[in-house]
Amino acid sequence: MGKTIRLGAGSGFWGDALDPAIELLEKENIDYLSMDYLAELTMALLQRLQSRNPEAGYVPDLVAHMRALLPLAREKETKIICNGGGTNPEGAAKVIRNLAQELGLGGLRVAAVRGDNILDQVDELVATGCDLTNMDTGDSDFLAIRERVVAASVYTGAEGIIEALAKGADVVIAGRVSDNALYVGPVMHELGLDFTETNADIIASAITVGHIVECAAGATGGMSSRFDEMPDMGRVGFPIAEFHEDGTAIITKVEGSGGAVDQFTVKEHLVYEIGDPNEYLMPDGVADFTRLSIEELGEDRVRVSDMGGRGRPETLKLVVGYEDGWIGEGMLFFPWPHALQRAEKARGTLLTRFDRLGLKYDALHFDYVGVNMLHGPASPMPEYDPAEIGLRVAVHTRTRDEAEKVRRACAQLWIMGPGGTSFGTPMKPRPVVGSWPTLIPRDFVKQTVEILEA
Amino acid sequence: MQTLDTIAYVRSGDKGDVVSIGVIAKSPDLYPKLVNSVTEDSVKELFGDWVKGGVAIYPMENIHSLAVIMRRALGGGATRTLRLDQTGKAMGNGILRLPVKTN
Repeated sequence: MGKTIRLGAGSGFWGDALDPAIELLEKENIDYLSMDYLAELTMALLQRLQSRNPEAGYVPDLVAHMRALLPLAREKETKIICNGGGTNPEGAAKVIRNLAQELGLGGLRVAAVRGDNILDQVDELVATGCDLTNMDTGDSDFLAIRERVVAASVYTGAEGIIEALAKGADVVIAGRVSDNALYVGPVMHELGLDFTETNADIIASAITVGHIVECAAGATGGMSSRFDEMPDMGRVGFPIAEFHEDGTAIITKVEGSGGAVDQFTVKEHLVYEIGDPNEYLMPDGVADFTRLSIEELGEDRVRVSDMGGRGRPETLKLVVGYEDGWIGEGMLFFPWPHALQRAEKARGTLLTRFDRLGLKYDALHFDYVGVNMLHGPASPMPEYDPAEIGLRVAVHTRTRDEAEKVRRACAQLWIMGPGGTSFGTPMKPRPVVGSWPTLIPRDFVKQTVEILEA
Repeated sequence: MQTLDTIAYVRSGDKGDVVSIGVIAKSPDLYPKLVNSVTEDSVKELFGDWVKGGVAIYPMENIHSLAVIMRRALGGGATRTLRLDQTGKAMGNGILRLPVKTN
């Protein structure tokens, strides 16, 4: 037999639905509810919110989510692990502790896990002489962006979560921990594992299982190529991972909910947003996805076994966000007949307008909506006269004023453009936060845990 | 001409300026066809100047799938790109346009 830990996925991104998380707590008995809120550059957005208001910086949805989930979690003795702390986990923990008091949940222990946000230590990091080459571009001139840096978050591992659980936390609020650390942490805590090499396979198994369920509905029929076959997706069930101490796991979902769990929903997510599947590099270890086995057990249950990998790397991934100019954007739609020809002539007209307005830009991009916007050069031209075609233009500029010219030029086509041209609401220029991913020594980062009791 | 959509499922996404596409054979017997059809050259040719870096293809025979990794393929990454599909979610479906090759 041995021990089995039941982990539910309560959120796959900031903006995800709350009702499936509530349903998980109401209908199932799970030991942990793990909630991921962060995408790659969410931290830059949250850092901007915090720069305007020092109390902010956590994911604002967190408060409404915890208001709904905390009473249920206490009733079911389920612990909640999340990365919704953003750039301010300690601020979030205070708010959630106060919320618990308001809800009459005295004694609830809320942990803040910090250490991932190194925005204040960027100069110190540069001074260590550490190579900060951009992993994506190979550019080594970090100093060229230094003055424009607005966020610096390290993908940290499960150590802080494990420490928080050992200190009796009921709710753990972290910042930029890896998505799957939200699952690896509870598994390592429950099984009493440390990071010695002999535990590498089972930790890699937990990483793999965390990866499969971390996008919530992504493993239960959401984003599926087989969406047409998926039942009742508007009330899709979030996934549950039953992690067994022997390093195998069963992926399932809330009973009676929409969606499905079968070999393909699991495979589809296993291959999602990975690099080399032989070495899925995470702060807690390196998982090998090329040796595992997947077996359908029926009734929305899939077993994953033969997982494994090797010990954690000596480096951690740091993503630096920096101010990188503006994007000006516009969209115009043309009706049948000859919609595409009108769009083509409108494109030429827009280019002339840009020129007449003296638009200065770094990069310019056009799409024909309905033809090649999603697949670019892979798209064939239509062999018929379409009912409608859109023209989309997006321009990268150094300044907001230049980006504003794009909006103006598009608006001028209201009357200067082809008959029948339709616009929605003009799009406002948006600031760009560029991403500079790099690797830094693990020992530069130290996670700390603070417990607040309601 | 038979295209890849008849034999494979897909899911795609981003990591920085990298687009990754997972391609999954609809049944184990179709996996060899998948391997023959999805090559570095065929993928690079399909997406043309949308993929500025290299393409790597990693076989996952255990789950009859391929991981296709395309570098400098998102126009600078999710926040920097001028494309509407900022995270490459639709590019997986794009790869389904490849012709199926039996050898």
